Amino acid sequence: MTSPAVGTELAPVVVAVTQEKINRYAEAGGDGNPLHTDPQFAAQTQFGGTIAHGMLLLAYLSRMLTAAFGEAWLSGGRLKVRFRAPARPGDTVSAVGQVLRAGAGRTVCAVECRNQAGETLVSGEAEVRA
Amino acid sequence: MPPRLDTLPKGHDLPATTFELSPEWVGEYVAAVEDEAIGALGPGLVPPMAVAALAVRALLERAALPPGAVHIGQEMTFLRAARIGEKLSASARIVSRGERQGWLLMGIDLSVNGDGGPVMEGRATLTMPAAEGAS
Repeated sequence: MTSPAVGTELAPVVVAVTQEKINRYAEAGGDGNPLHTDPQFAAQTQFGGTIAHGMLLLAYLSRMLTAAFGEAWLSGGRLKVRFRAPARPGDTVSAVGQVLRAGAGRTVCAVECRNQAGETLVSGEAEVRA
Repeated sequence: MPPRLDTLPKGHDLPATTFELSPEWVGEYVAAVEDEAIGALGPGLVPPMAVAALAVRALLERAALPPGAVHIGQEMTFLRAARIGEKLSASARIVSRGERQGWLLMGIDLSVNGDGGPVMEGRATLTMPAAEGAS
């Protein structure tokens, strides 16, 4: 795969987050933390309501990186992120990325998940052999 | 009942747990995360984040998250592509633990291996309210 040029924006992944999708991920991922699935419990927490799993947001980033880099992402990909803010049911989450550095067989991208207000939910870097 | 994560010391190894990337489970995962990209690469490949999700699930089977625990950071390296039907083993170790202003910050290294060699490694960073006498 040819290394994309510095500044290239990756094709974004845009997902409407719903409580049903969060519940489905909780079942598939085996993470039944009530912060994600129990509105009554979540209402009593610092978040004031249910939030999506951080790993669900990373799955959207991974989908974007799989589409951009193919098997180079699956074998040799690296991701380092911080969770900045939660995604809530009703949010539209965009996973976006831009090539920061490319050379010596590695491509480094800045990656983010943002909500519909432009608030950064997850930010970090991804690196692939490309 | 597994021990609560916030009661475990730095250096504690969580016992390894094994699992299979069954077609049914991978299908459920791919549907749940709406991953249309993995199928375009050909049959049999598993999204790398699915392996990471299973590693986290393995962790949750060995140490219960206390109420109010929040995942604040994640690092991961995918060493090779995993395939549907593979049997994998996940293990975890608590590599850092500190308390500040009533909150506990813990770093947990995760690794996933299979017959074909290591699949992924990573580190999860979590914070949670510090329980009295737990730190």
